[in-house]
Amino acid sequence: MSTLTLLTAPEDKFTPPGLELFDLPPIIAGVTWFTKPVLLALLSSLIVIAFCWAAFAKPKLVPRGVQNVAEIGYTFVRDQVARPFLGKDADRWMGLLLSIFFMVWIWNLMGVIPVIQFPVASHIAFPVVLALSIYILKIYLGIKHQGPIGYFKNMMFPPGLPKPIYVLLAPIEFLSNLIIAPFTHAVRLFANMFAGHIILAFFSLVGFWFLFEKLTPLGAPLGVIGVVMTIAMTGFEMFIQFLQAFLFAMLAAMYIGNSLHAEH
Amino acid sequence: MSEKKIRPEDDGRDFANAAWSVPSYLLSGMILYGGAGWLLSKWTGVVAFTPIGLILGVALAVYLVYRKYGR
Repeated sequence: MSTLTLLTAPEDKFTPPGLELFDLPPIIAGVTWFTKPVLLALLSSLIVIAFCWAAFAKPKLVPRGVQNVAEIGYTFVRDQVARPFLGKDADRWMGLLLSIFFMVWIWNLMGVIPVIQFPVASHIAFPVVLALSIYILKIYLGIKHQGPIGYFKNMMFPPGLPKPIYVLLAPIEFLSNLIIAPFTHAVRLFANMFAGHIILAFFSLVGFWFLFEKLTPLGAPLGVIGVVMTIAMTGFEMFIQFLQAFLFAMLAAMYIGNSLHAEH
Repeated sequence: MSEKKIRPEDDGRDFANAAWSVPSYLLSGMILYGGAGWLLSKWTGVVAFTPIGLILGVALAVYLVYRKYGR
């Protein structure tokens, strides 16, 4: 939509896409909150629910079809995300971690699905809400399992350091665990999706501009490079999308694990 | 909290914990002590406090990570 407005821009020279890519109008006039990312987020929830329902509602001992695919995802999340951080508590948290992983992955995949092509997490509000939920859960679990004083004591005073140095290090622990960690948790996902979307938009616009809008002998090779780079970057972006979904779920597991048992 | 029996899964957990905690420790150290240094610079007019604070923050963060995970 915004690409079209760009292409019909009056000036006759190539304008790279910018922030207007993320500034989307409401879908229904007057309902200002209901924009494309909101619609895609709702759609993603439905997809994840339908997928898990189809896979796990009536599980068979010998999995077939959807259940087969979902069990690959389940095994991956359990072995790579949950167990390394949660150990014997892993199974209790699989529901949450699997939902987060699938949810974020579908959000990200929306960025490369033709026609849709908008990664939900490139609007920072979405990762912030997820990261904030994990943050609240982390503090709740920490206080519940280590006690209100014990949790903060274990967090700020790791054992085995010379006493005077705690004065200097405890503030770093506090800031790192309670402010910087949740901040980077959300921003890491947001920034990757934001940058990826701009890169894809840029290269496809280069291809479109030099091959269709302003076809010249000198510009054509540039347009070909644009198309090739769009394809290559789409592949790379799909890898990043998976990686970021994995990292988001993994960090959630790490925060939960550290709240259940103090680090030692 | 610091029993010395190491469960098999703890090895990987410690490593990943360390790897993913380092950036936020470094950032925290720089913000905290760099910020304190900046405030000192503002109040005293001695410019050197800001870089001293930044370096002190990074050094403390590295020391913390080393003592926590690097034994």
